[in-house]
Amino acid sequence: MTPTVDERLASIVRALTEVILPHLPPEASLAQEQVQLAIGHLQILRAQLDDVPAFEREELADAVAIAKSLIAEIDGGTQTRAALTALASAASADGSDVRVQTGIINRAVDALVKAVAADGVEGAMASLSRIILAHEQARVMKDRQWFLPFGFDTIMDAA
Amino acid sequence: MLKDMEAVNRKILERRKAGRALPPYRAALIPEVTEILANYFKVQRPGATVSGVRRVGGGASKEQFFFTLSEHGQDEPFLLRMDPRSAITETDREREFVLIQAMQGIVPVPEPVWVDNDAQYFPQPAAIMRVVNGVTKPSDSGVKVSGLGTWLGPDLRAKLRDQFVDYLVKIHAYDFRARPLPGYEVPDADPKQAARWSYNYWLEMWKIDEGTDRPVMSLATQWLADNMPDTAELAMTHGDYRTGNYLFEEDSGQITALLDWELARIGDFHEDLAWVLMQVFGTVDTDGTRRASDLFERDEFIAEYERRSGRTVNHQTLHYYDVMSSWKCNVIVAANGLAAARSQHNHQDVLLTFLGATSPMFADDLVRLLSMGDVQ
Repeated sequence: MTPTVDERLASIVRALTEVILPHLPPEASLAQEQVQLAIGHLQILRAQLDDVPAFEREELADAVAIAKSLIAEIDGGTQTRAALTALASAASADGSDVRVQTGIINRAVDALVKAVAADGVEGAMASLSRIILAHEQARVMKDRQWFLPFGFDTIMDAA
Repeated sequence: MLKDMEAVNRKILERRKAGRALPPYRAALIPEVTEILANYFKVQRPGATVSGVRRVGGGASKEQFFFTLSEHGQDEPFLLRMDPRSAITETDREREFVLIQAMQGIVPVPEPVWVDNDAQYFPQPAAIMRVVNGVTKPSDSGVKVSGLGTWLGPDLRAKLRDQFVDYLVKIHAYDFRARPLPGYEVPDADPKQAARWSYNYWLEMWKIDEGTDRPVMSLATQWLADNMPDTAELAMTHGDYRTGNYLFEEDSGQITALLDWELARIGDFHEDLAWVLMQVFGTVDTDGTRRASDLFERDEFIAEYERRSGRTVNHQTLHYYDVMSSWKCNVIVAANGLAAARSQHNHQDVLLTFLGATSPMFADDLVRLLSMGDVQ
């Protein structure tokens, strides 16, 4: 048997917590803070490790969904049509590199926003805004949930 | 690069861009800092000795050290603020120094004493100030980085809130035309220049640091370009006014120093108000009551600001700067902080990647704000 990733991370956390941290002198404040943050990071990574592929696949699926909605509803002049073509191409990739494809779609959406501002048909910017906000409303809640263990999100904590 | 911005900000952007290829930065060690300070004071104060150098904990931006300077049997405590190679906010030590000097006697601030903006003596730009006593959060508030969501509680809240708003009013009342500040330019070429300078600077930061696009950021970037408000009255702004960025005595609740002036500029006072009112810097009670900086509910803060300043808050302009504040924060945590960490140009990369986790909160705030439609 080989050690699992979780076992390896757990052993690093334990070494940092029980061996290294107690031996740092009180005046080594930066080192103490950094070790505590490193421990926190690693604990969150341990908790999320198995869910990372599914989280990233869902991110891509959400990006593809927003792209399809935009392609279906937005129209405009030369710049907008070129941006829509690029977005369609990005959204129809085979999904084999999840992170890269998500990035390409988001950049294509960024280019579309600029293009619609330049030569979108009347009402295109309002439609684009409505579609993006509707999709992002759901997406950001997933992201906030994902990063909840970091302890910053007092608003979600209170919800 | 967008050119319409203060000259100092163009210089900062160029420095940021040029610095990307520089080798990794390592946190300064106490013996190294002691030696640098000793060499510095050989020039500035021959005969004085440096001792007791120790690092200041907390903060996400500068390397900070307390030290004692002794001369003629007198010991004086000082604070050294030194830039890492890249930080979560890229700023100018001289500019901060000049403003803190100007604010002496107007609001409580530390006394700045020396500055080495060109890193002639220090490895990076640095400034030295006299130490001021106080804390940035109550000792029982729990461990939080960078003061986000600091809980003050009812007792301290009652003691701090009047001072908080009064000092902001005093900053905004600074007469920058009668007492001009070297390096601070006035955005008065046209009514939209104040908003445009801020927008241009942060947009260029986003591009240089290769912020990762997400649709609501793209939408907000366009919205901010399309909806720039006229500035009715230019004012001196602090730029990062919130709980966590002032020192207070825990027993009396007296504010002893306003800190972190590095983002200050002459602009629209609504920009400061929106920053104060950002939900992420506030707290939420169990009954759902939100308080800006744990001091004021939104409407209450606006009313108090209007009453004490004699100004009228334009809600449409405030909404613009609400959007800009969350957009700017996302630039800071999702572009500046992560780029500094990726380049290994900071003394606490692990903190910067940790703070990156706040990005979805700002994105959510953008969704909420942009969904509000026209605000009157």
